Amino acid sequence: MADLLAAIFDQVHTRNLSMKVLNNSAKALLALTGMVFTHSAFAADTVKVGVLHSLSGTMAISETSLRDVLLYTFDEINAKGGVMGKKIEPVVVDGASNWPLFAEKAKQLLEKDKAAVVFGCWTSVSRKSVLPVFEKNNGLLFYPVQYEGEEESKNVFYTAEAVNQQATPAVDYMLGKKKEKFYLLGSDYVYPQTTNLVLLEYLLSKGVPIENIGGGFKKDASGKIISAGKYTPFGHTDYQQIVAEIKQFSAGGKACVINTLNGDTNVPFFKEYAAAGLTAESCPVVSFSISEDEFRALPAKQLVGQLGCWTYFQSVKSDANKKFISSFQTWLKDTKVDGVKKEGRVTCSPMVLSYDGVYLWKAAVEKAGSFDVDKVREALKGGLSFDGPGGKVTTQKNMHLTKNVFIGETKADGQFKILKEYKDVFGEPWLKGTFKAK
Amino acid sequence: MIRACLSLVFFLALELSGAVAAGPAEVVAKAVLLEDKSEEQIALIKELDPTPELISLLTLWKEGGIFLLEGPSNTKIPVVLDPLKGTDDKQAAKLLATGLPHTDSDGKPARLIASDLNAAETDSDLRTAMKSILDLAGLAADDRSARLQAVETLGMEQDPSRLPALRGRLEKETDEEVRHTIREAIALTELKSSDPAAVVIACRTLGELGSIRSQDALKAIAKDSGPTAKAAQEALRKIELHLQAANTWGTIFRGLSLGSVLLVAALGLAVTFGLMGVINMAHGEMIAVGAYTTYVVQCIFGPGLELSPFGIHITLPSLKTSGWIYDSYFLVAIPLSFLTAALAGIALERTVIRFLYRRPLESLLATWGVSLVVQQLFRLTFGANNVQVASPRWLSGHWTFSDVSLGWNRVFVICFAAAIVAGVFLLLARTPLGLLIRAVMQNRSMAACMGVRTERVNLLTFGLGSGLAGLAGAFLSQIGNVGPSLGQSYIVDAFMTVVVGGVGSLFGTIFSALGIGMVDQSLQQILGNPVLGKILVLAGIILFLQWRPAGLFVSRSRSLEN
Amino acid sequence: MQPQPRREILIAGALALVLLVLMPALNAWVPQDSLLHVSNFTINVWGKYLAYGILAISVDLLWGYTGLLSLGQALFFSLGGYMLGMHLMLMIGKLGQYKSDLPDFLVFLGHTFLPAFWKPFYSFAFAMLMVFLLPMLLAKVFGFLAFRSRIKGVYFSILTQALTYGASLMFFRNDMLLGGNNGFTDFKFLLGADIRSAGTQRTLYICTGIALMAVYFGCRWLTRTKFGLIQRAIRDSETRVLFSGYSAANYKLFVFVVAAGIASLGGALYVTQVGIINPSEMTPDKSLEAVVWVAVGGRGTLVGPILGAVVVNALKSWATRAIPDLWLILLGSLFLGVVLFLPEGLISIPAKIRSLFTRSKPLDPQESAVSKANAPAA
Repeated sequence: MADLLAAIFDQVHTRNLSMKVLNNSAKALLALTGMVFTHSAFAADTVKVGVLHSLSGTMAISETSLRDVLLYTFDEINAKGGVMGKKIEPVVVDGASNWPLFAEKAKQLLEKDKAAVVFGCWTSVSRKSVLPVFEKNNGLLFYPVQYEGEEESKNVFYTAEAVNQQATPAVDYMLGKKKEKFYLLGSDYVYPQTTNLVLLEYLLSKGVPIENIGGGFKKDASGKIISAGKYTPFGHTDYQQIVAEIKQFSAGGKACVINTLNGDTNVPFFKEYAAAGLTAESCPVVSFSISEDEFRALPAKQLVGQLGCWTYFQSVKSDANKKFISSFQTWLKDTKVDGVKKEGRVTCSPMVLSYDGVYLWKAAVEKAGSFDVDKVREALKGGLSFDGPGGKVTTQKNMHLTKNVFIGETKADGQFKILKEYKDVFGEPWLKGTFKAK
Repeated sequence: MIRACLSLVFFLALELSGAVAAGPAEVVAKAVLLEDKSEEQIALIKELDPTPELISLLTLWKEGGIFLLEGPSNTKIPVVLDPLKGTDDKQAAKLLATGLPHTDSDGKPARLIASDLNAAETDSDLRTAMKSILDLAGLAADDRSARLQAVETLGMEQDPSRLPALRGRLEKETDEEVRHTIREAIALTELKSSDPAAVVIACRTLGELGSIRSQDALKAIAKDSGPTAKAAQEALRKIELHLQAANTWGTIFRGLSLGSVLLVAALGLAVTFGLMGVINMAHGEMIAVGAYTTYVVQCIFGPGLELSPFGIHITLPSLKTSGWIYDSYFLVAIPLSFLTAALAGIALERTVIRFLYRRPLESLLATWGVSLVVQQLFRLTFGANNVQVASPRWLSGHWTFSDVSLGWNRVFVICFAAAIVAGVFLLLARTPLGLLIRAVMQNRSMAACMGVRTERVNLLTFGLGSGLAGLAGAFLSQIGNVGPSLGQSYIVDAFMTVVVGGVGSLFGTIFSALGIGMVDQSLQQILGNPVLGKILVLAGIILFLQWRPAGLFVSRSRSLEN
Repeated sequence: MQPQPRREILIAGALALVLLVLMPALNAWVPQDSLLHVSNFTINVWGKYLAYGILAISVDLLWGYTGLLSLGQALFFSLGGYMLGMHLMLMIGKLGQYKSDLPDFLVFLGHTFLPAFWKPFYSFAFAMLMVFLLPMLLAKVFGFLAFRSRIKGVYFSILTQALTYGASLMFFRNDMLLGGNNGFTDFKFLLGADIRSAGTQRTLYICTGIALMAVYFGCRWLTRTKFGLIQRAIRDSETRVLFSGYSAANYKLFVFVVAAGIASLGGALYVTQVGIINPSEMTPDKSLEAVVWVAVGGRGTLVGPILGAVVVNALKSWATRAIPDLWLILLGSLFLGVVLFLPEGLISIPAKIRSLFTRSKPLDPQESAVSKANAPAA
């Protein structure tokens, strides 16, 4: 029982006890007997910034890279004197791919650590689960990963690609390549479901007949389409039947696949796709969730020529990008942070949007002259620009970003060759119902 | 390999023609230099005659065998490399346009390393154009599959000017499948004809051929009215029938292959759980051990591997193989996966499981703890990302029989499963070790009384079960993810398979794996939904076990409680 | 712990006092900058731990007392959460992203009207009824089928695992109209009170504490009746119970249904405080985690599961921040260590230490029954 009581008393604030007294091993010992939270001492010349990503569990695949790039960015800023003279003190927490834990960690960052800003989340569900926490505590979250839109919270800044910064340009590109049939395939969660519904409207508005859109539809009792495309659960491993269906769908040529499968289900899908003899020439696949980082796990040679659409590729030719890549690689080599993988690293769009996010926040703080969330938000809404690795990004009044959009095709070395660039695309979260069928 | 041969052929061609070589090589070199301007590139190569030289040039380009060197004052020089590698990995370079040796700044012939160079790129438009040129030439190719592909593409173009070439080929062609495809291509092209009678005949032909490819074109015609529309509708009906047949056979094959995947994943469990009664929740991680072993072997055959778990830096050497030697990495990986997983299993048995033989429910918990630890260890060693395992060439292709495609990897898994089952069966039934295993599993204390060293048999049996899981991992790396949570995707399915089959019965496991695979794929085909099928299978399993609580094949015993 | 019932009640009472009275009081009335202030965050996190404690008791009632290792408890827990969650979703009203009467995710998917099965959930009473009714009904049907065909031991575990897995796959589907992968979140009101306010959270925390106490004393009573005796007899040798003329299946079914209800109550309380429920809460892994809390705390006792739930989750809260890369290793090793070296859990530590000093035979009859349960006749 004693340890339980100890736990309770440790729960009672220890803010005034300087934890420096306790060395690390003592901390660990206390933890094992049930201690819960500790407070490191506040130092006047630092500002706490939260990093909220999954470092374990299924989402660690994608999110660990974002943690790495954030830590790199903080170091880079600190080396140049920090933000308004204060050094950034990162508070890294692990959401462990567990959504209630995300909410708990968000609370911890905002209520206990009083983080000035939090960078984090990957999946829509993790963002949705921390959203009430940020709204209640008036915190500020920078969210860097392509998402479905249909949301606008004053407590979230979306550096992420909105649907019109990824899906619709990609479809435009395919229409330009004289593709007439579109097969919609995705993982069963909000982002693909919504994106495909928007794309359905968009394709119909471009005059594509509904029978040329593959994957199936579901209608509600009144006959309204509530779901378009084929959906598989997370962790699905067997794509034989779906690939056979695509093969028949694309047999007449002029077909392509719009792929919103999430990260790791792409591997079995593409392995099956290649094994069935489908190629980028016979039926190209445009993927929205495969960046250079995910690409490392895919059989690159079999995928040459498949398309991707992001607001950044590592192959973007600019000085800012060259500098970004080389100093990130140097940082990786030197860093002493635990659990950072040093070999074979690449950069990708969510990483760069995280990077841009930190600099935009810095600019906003400096413009507002304060770390206060309300003032920083006003500064962000006022339209700040930053020349990031992917080109110039500008903040918008609706807390989204105007940025360049690139269409690229994959090469055997896992990089993308940029085929087309759309300049300064405005981020528009509300798209449903905006496209009217002809 | 093919690339090496091609460049050898081409290199010899350059060698023979020497400096006299003009024409295609020069034009292609010019086209290569027009980087990123695919429209102009296409215009250039389309003008050329499809000579064998052009064919080999374009293929080389498409496969990344033409390199661009930095020339003086921002110019670029297209070169090709001599396929004969020196001991230092260097290859002699020749200028693409002239075939003359490329000289470095000192005027000596340059020797370069391929991986340091930038290959001339192609984009999808350019490759499509190349393909069309290659296909026309491919009509006369000796290789059957090249001819087949050529005909398919030409048919899709529906370009009447191709008809003479196709008809000419049809007369000469002897291969049945190619003839079938040529007839299809001709009929497809005829659909564009202005003569309604020809269109009707073409429709009829397509219907008879059961041409899936022509569905879209036929649908367009069927929308009109008149005799052509009628013929098209009739053809579509026939094609629909053909499709149904193809789907049925396809489903059977896919069910068989899914069943084999399940069988491969569950067989190890059938040994550890079925025979020994140990609930090993870390079975999935044993599969992952096998998969990671395959990855490591692949890296050693290829570019080498650097790892840094816990800040310790490990560099695995590279054998720098390529071609068929590289492709055979998988053959080396198979036995190694078995060995590593078996060793990991033996370690697990010694440290954890041997204390828990009499507490099966707790072995479940302890091994679950092990599985968490191992997953995180994978993450710290190989990174949280999935790693890339590429299929060797001999596993990444397919056969097509009347529109049912049989992937080589899928055919392989079926044979692989059959081979492992046969191996395990022989081991258990025909070897002294098998005899001991069966004795200990049937009655541990009696076997001990007879002088069998049961501890050791336990150890070996568990090693065998884990090794089988490792084999599963080696195979699964060919069709799915290799990552820290690889094992998690298969563990529930594997347990289900064993329980349905009847714990303790290897035959039961085989039947249940194939049965579950078949039912799953059939439901997917019927419902058109991948998840519903899986949920129904799970519900079906729960209900099935009400009917036969001990599974398909019951191993009978006289003991009251088991 | 069993031999000293008075001491156990005393400890439980003291704990109740601290958790139910002292902590909320320190949270409500002590000023924020005081050393003794308990923050809203702490209250909230502890509310979550206590809800987990309820889940742990339900696992223990089945596993520790009846020998049924159910991996379906996470399913019942989340079902409870979903039932109350449906009510909370409807209570958001027009305050959602879309300013619509429909829950956001339905608008998302283009629905224009509320599906019929959602309508009764406007009533809080109905939702609370369903919190108990639905999971218990499911448990009744599944249990009836399973126990009738005498599925037990490991097979029961694997079957409940399949049930949970199947259910989670189902709930992941957006077609279920239950929010798919995202589940329910962004709750605003409970019985008219702002669910995010500190006061409401404190009340919910106290409710959870009271529910935990009620469940604890209820189970304590149950396990001490003749019923409890038969329960333990089934655990130790089901065959003998059968031969003595008892219908073991009925007893097991009853316990299974009761445990489902308890888990579900825990889930409902959990959702109000965590503010999110989605299908990843009902995966087999979550059930295993709950089993591990019980193993760590000490099964076959009623304090053990609560202790285990609190300790493991507190450790998780701490480790996911302090050593994010290593916490899974820590957690895994903890389970491994407990199973191998401390089969009776943390709760047995004081007794073990005492036995070191008194040099008496360490195992009392109750505990030896527990360890016997670990070893069914091979």
